[in-house]
Amino acid sequence: MSDAALLEDAATGIFRDHYTGDLLVAAKHAGWCAGLWKVLEETGMSLVSVPEDSGGTGGSVQEALTVIRLAGKYCAAVPLADTALLAGWALARAGLPVPKGPLAFAVAGTTSPLTVKQEGGGWKLSGTLGRVPWARFARALVIVAEHEDRCVVASVDPAQYKVSPGINLAGEARDDVVMENALVSGARVRAAPPGVSVENAWQRGALSRAVMMCGALDRILEMSVQYCRQRVQFGRPLGKFQAIQQELARLAGDAAIATACAMSAAGALDSGTQEFDIAVAKVRAGEAAQSGASIAHQVHGAIGVTEEYLLHHSTLRLWSWRSEYGSEAHWSERLGRTAIEGGSTWLWNTLTRH
Amino acid sequence: MFFSDTDFSALRLPESLNSLRDEIRRFLDRERRAGSFKPHLGHGEFDVAFSRRLGERGWIGMTWPRKYGGHERTHLERFVVLEELLAAGAPVHAHWNADRQIGPGLLRWGSEEQRMRYLPAMARGECCFAIGMSEPNAGSDLASVRTHAERVPGGWKLNGQKTWTSWAHKSSAMFVLCRTSPATQNRHEGLSQLIVDLSSPGITIRPIRFLDGAHRFNDVFFDDVFVPDDMVLGEIGQGWLQVTSELALERSGPERYMNTFPLFCLLLDALKQSNDRLARISVGAIVARFASLRRMSLAIAHAFSTKADPDVNTEAALVKDIGTVFERDILEAIRTLTDTVPTRDSSDEMERLFAEATLFAPIPTIRGGTTQVLRGIIARRLEATL
Repeated sequence: MSDAALLEDAATGIFRDHYTGDLLVAAKHAGWCAGLWKVLEETGMSLVSVPEDSGGTGGSVQEALTVIRLAGKYCAAVPLADTALLAGWALARAGLPVPKGPLAFAVAGTTSPLTVKQEGGGWKLSGTLGRVPWARFARALVIVAEHEDRCVVASVDPAQYKVSPGINLAGEARDDVVMENALVSGARVRAAPPGVSVENAWQRGALSRAVMMCGALDRILEMSVQYCRQRVQFGRPLGKFQAIQQELARLAGDAAIATACAMSAAGALDSGTQEFDIAVAKVRAGEAAQSGASIAHQVHGAIGVTEEYLLHHSTLRLWSWRSEYGSEAHWSERLGRTAIEGGSTWLWNTLTRH
Repeated sequence: MFFSDTDFSALRLPESLNSLRDEIRRFLDRERRAGSFKPHLGHGEFDVAFSRRLGERGWIGMTWPRKYGGHERTHLERFVVLEELLAAGAPVHAHWNADRQIGPGLLRWGSEEQRMRYLPAMARGECCFAIGMSEPNAGSDLASVRTHAERVPGGWKLNGQKTWTSWAHKSSAMFVLCRTSPATQNRHEGLSQLIVDLSSPGITIRPIRFLDGAHRFNDVFFDDVFVPDDMVLGEIGQGWLQVTSELALERSGPERYMNTFPLFCLLLDALKQSNDRLARISVGAIVARFASLRRMSLAIAHAFSTKADPDVNTEAALVKDIGTVFERDILEAIRTLTDTVPTRDSSDEMERLFAEATLFAPIPTIRGGTTQVLRGIIARRLEATL
């Protein structure tokens, strides 16, 4: 077995252990799944791709995305992408210590303005960061923010901010964070190194959500095909009806496209030209989430919308994640603006360079 | 489950292909400046002289062995040439069948003599071939063909009718799928492919006018047409295997999602002064969809460049299904974002191409496997794997 296959196997085992109706409903009410997080920390998966000399477990971004996709597939209500791919990345790149424990991540400037002031040897942060994933459970909130003409990475202690709890459609913690002159010592703030910026952080966040959606699409496709094999109506399994087969094929196609784009974007990460690929990935994953969730519910009939049936844990996440780090409209508009400004020759050159 | 052998994160066209791309772009620029062709959608026009100029440059039969007039280049190089031709709306009909299906079919199943007879001429752009599959009562259900050949001394006597045969009236020969023994319980048995010289006695070719009045399709009638033994393609009885084995390349190429792309380029340039958010969003969504289809098409070309016979039939069905439906998104965007009126005889290129695309729109989701047949193929794979 290759290293990649071993990792995939191990991660699948962990996530599946926590993929039960009871645990998912409990997580929906609690805002996360503490038990699963503990296992991810113990196995080092919570910091996959964060370099070892920064306190992480090492490994490539590709490996991190493999684990994150599986987390998406099995509705893992834990800050895995946020800790490993986002907060851990920013801290390690900035040369700041990576605290043990779950981390929350926020990008200030895109949707949430934040006032950043340097005073004496420390910093003061003021403002409200809306719908920060997992903020109430975090050991630190890592913020990438604009400061004057520069960008800083700050690791803020939870004692310095107030959390007003909120949830996304799937019950995952999405909390408002209020800071009024939150004091952050100079040792916990760094000028962002090359490659870390508000824009890069936003793109990375979008990629994480695209990959999580790919996982969720894998799962709803699996559930739909299996359900249609078991469920008998008019004397035949649903899967024998051409009308149903056509719908399943569309769902499979959408999922395959989303995956092709997300994996392509993963390969372009940190290349300097990743914006295009990430925009494509987020748009296509969001579109697949929309059509895929509709199809999955349609072929399941009424059973799919009951609390005890597991489908909704995946579809509620798809509907939530497609809005996080920019909707399809947000990323399409960005693509459209550059395409229209650049014109057809520019577009063809860009498309054929990828 | 799909594309399981493809590492999309590492999938790139090698830099070394940039010079080929530049070369074909310069060629197309020169041709356009010289007025050699007017851009058309759906593979442009049938222009033997243009195909010959492509042949001279080595851009037909690119992946075939040199021995047969080919150029032993990779499927990725071929991909670059195809997408540049399609983006330009160049007239490629005269060699498209030969390059995509007939050539590979002859290489795989044909005799040495058949290959030597046809392939070098095809690669020069001088030999046009038609493909005889559909019949009046055999459309999607291809195995129900009734055209049949019976054994006669030295060969076969062919009777029946093919329909929707593109460019038969301009081709020198065609592949004909026919019954060579009566249908049994297994309908896929007893089918064979013959290579029919279209100048043979007993052949009648009648035009089927498309809804724009143009003559591209034909009915082809066979009335006691003699086909010598040396014109049997592959083996008698293996016809079904032969026609279904080349489907992956046929269904996954850029011609399955690029038919309306030249029109999209015109839309983009028409929106230059626009400050409309909806326009940016619509355009961006189309860019994203195009880019995603191209990734999948490229993945299949890549699979063919690394393996002789990759198992990507379902993936190809996906590309064709999603690509051909996508082509229509561009028409709707033009309708929503501009006041363009589809006008066939307009001097305005956008109006003219919009008319072409609107009339052509029903075709791509039918030919080469209907959307519904393709989705059936995908569903069978799901049933077998999940």
